[in-house]
Amino acid sequence: MTGLDPAGREMLDELRDLGRRYIRPMGLEADRTGDPPPADHELYRRCARQGGLVSRTVGPGEDESGGDGDASLTWRPLRALLIAEESAYWDRGVALSLPGPGLGGAALRSAATPAQRERFLAPFADQTRAHWGAMAMTEPGAGSDVARIRTRARRDGDEWVLTGQKMFCSNGARADWVVVWATVDPDLGRDGHRAFVVEQGTPGFELLRIEHKMGSRGYETASFALDDVRVPPDNLLGGEALYTARRGFKAAMATYNLTRPIHAAQGVGMGRAALDLALDLVRTDFPAQGSRRRRALERLAEMRRKLQVARLMCLHAVWLARQRTDNALEASYAKLYAPPVVYEVVSAALDIFGEAGVVRDNLIEKLYRDVKILDIGEGTQQVQRLVVARHLLGLPRDQ
Amino acid sequence: MIDPAGFALAEEVEDLRDAAARFARDVLAPAARDHERAGRWPEAVQAVVGGFGDDLDRCHARVVLLETLAAGDAGGLPAVDRPGPAGGAVEACPDRSLAAAATDAVLLAAGGGEAPERVAWAPGWPPRRRAWVSSGDRLRLVEAAGEPEPVEALAFAASGGVSLDLAAARVLGDWALPVGGGLAVRGRARLWAAAVAVGVGQAAFDATVAYTTERVVFGKPVAHHQANAFDLAALATGIHGARLAVRDAAASFDAGDPAAGFWATEAWAEAIDAAVAMSEAGIQLLGGHGFLVDHLAEKRFREARMLGLLFGGRDAALDDLAGTVLDVPDPWLGA
Repeated sequence: MTGLDPAGREMLDELRDLGRRYIRPMGLEADRTGDPPPADHELYRRCARQGGLVSRTVGPGEDESGGDGDASLTWRPLRALLIAEESAYWDRGVALSLPGPGLGGAALRSAATPAQRERFLAPFADQTRAHWGAMAMTEPGAGSDVARIRTRARRDGDEWVLTGQKMFCSNGARADWVVVWATVDPDLGRDGHRAFVVEQGTPGFELLRIEHKMGSRGYETASFALDDVRVPPDNLLGGEALYTARRGFKAAMATYNLTRPIHAAQGVGMGRAALDLALDLVRTDFPAQGSRRRRALERLAEMRRKLQVARLMCLHAVWLARQRTDNALEASYAKLYAPPVVYEVVSAALDIFGEAGVVRDNLIEKLYRDVKILDIGEGTQQVQRLVVARHLLGLPRDQ
Repeated sequence: MIDPAGFALAEEVEDLRDAAARFARDVLAPAARDHERAGRWPEAVQAVVGGFGDDLDRCHARVVLLETLAAGDAGGLPAVDRPGPAGGAVEACPDRSLAAAATDAVLLAAGGGEAPERVAWAPGWPPRRRAWVSSGDRLRLVEAAGEPEPVEALAFAASGGVSLDLAAARVLGDWALPVGGGLAVRGRARLWAAAVAVGVGQAAFDATVAYTTERVVFGKPVAHHQANAFDLAALATGIHGARLAVRDAAASFDAGDPAAGFWATEAWAEAIDAAVAMSEAGIQLLGGHGFLVDHLAEKRFREARMLGLLFGGRDAALDDLAGTVLDVPDPWLGA
């Protein structure tokens, strides 16, 4: 594998500095208190000032750009992958809390009209304060099977009116806008789906609660009620044409083809954190010739192998996307493979620590709680198996 | 950073792969049982397969070729591909003239410990008496005193099979390689086995899908029962990951990465696990048919397992991994 070039190395150095100074301490604090860092935290203000976690004076230049449109708003898949892995190494929760359009941004880039991109993404160039975007798909009765969402969208004159409930919306409470998925008719299944950009403060769009979680507490996970929320027609993501062409649901799924490898890469970062803790312990505390050391070394080798394969899968899926090649299968491979093996890695590290690993001031204890969500968010392992089986086995959609 | 792991294949490698795939599908696979019974590949097949690799000096291209051919029939590859697994020994040997004359020597590998005094199985043709012995960072080239003894083995019958007694072997050369040099030698051999394992695993997957999407049980194809579909999805993911790991490790050798032997050994473990799991499922999902020699499922099952036993097997691999895992830097991010 080719290592990072000097520009990538520079970016990594800055990420590591931020990780030590901000991300890890913020994550530990959020874990202790149960509350995500406040929206006006110094790190978020810094991100706003410099246009992202990593300053634009370091790292790969604009020739690394992987998308189209305004370069300052362009999603750079490989750069994003590195940032995802390294920031999650320090704390995935805080990494998810960083300002930016988030999953909503991926949806915008997949499906929005040029005017919508300009309108909703332009605020992220604001250097005076941090901005967030979000996406709301999951509902109390519709998680993995997103085709079953029940939030209703109905026309009323020129406007759309949204009614329903959403949950598991990352950064939703602090977001400027949320991409909300709804249906014009549940009986139409995927063909009935519409996505709307709902701006914060819109009457009827009400925060119900910030969830309390076992781990990954560094970002807020919000639930919303939509009580006759009136949305102007210009906020229909992609415009009517997108849905006339029956591309609405596919647009949603395309979003995941971009984000699943990133999600999996976060897992690699978390696994690396566990691996490093175990490596350090074995180096310093295990007798050189002891059988315990030998067993640990073998487990460490397996951990490294699994993490490297997971990373390769993430890189490959994103590399395909950058080649403008369909990567739905490979994105699912990455998402199917990485979370369970990262869980195994963290669990193996916990074994290496033994009883010393269970106490709250040992980071491995927190990682063990943090890591489980990886196999649930962005499509569970079971969903990924369905996706892979549909691709390779012709598994019908109704199974 | 754009292609850090050798995902892209050069145009000439793609052409080679496509030609090899056609040959594997049209010539190797249909005759695999005949080759197994004959104990060798016909001269014409040997010539074509040998010709595919003639001008390949890059590991990355070689693993792509091996994987592709193995998907048709891996049986004769150990015999035909020379120096094949011993390529790392040939390259590492400081005595270039001796190395040039020893491209048909087999590789006997031990991890950190002493190498055994017998090569339990080696290809039976062409006749060979010499062996590279790799343990730690020591490399020896030895020549067996007696004649090779024919043996029947778990798999790879199309390569014949002999054992070599090295107890009274004549030592032709004995070298101390630079630190890490031994792992590089053994890593190249494991990379060879890993590439073949990926091909065997992929062939097992393809054959299993072909059968299980046709055969109907309890009202729908075998593959469409969720328990089976989920298993096959996971197995396909395993093969995909193993392929990426093998190609990445090969690219590391090509780039002169000093940790390439470590990553090749890691890739070997991943590929063997994936191929063994897939080939086992390849029998299981065919039911009783999978146990019959009418299908190639049982042949792949044996091949995958045997690939995990050559060159010191898992014990030697674990020795090597455990001995270096604390020192190998992150391949992408560095220390």
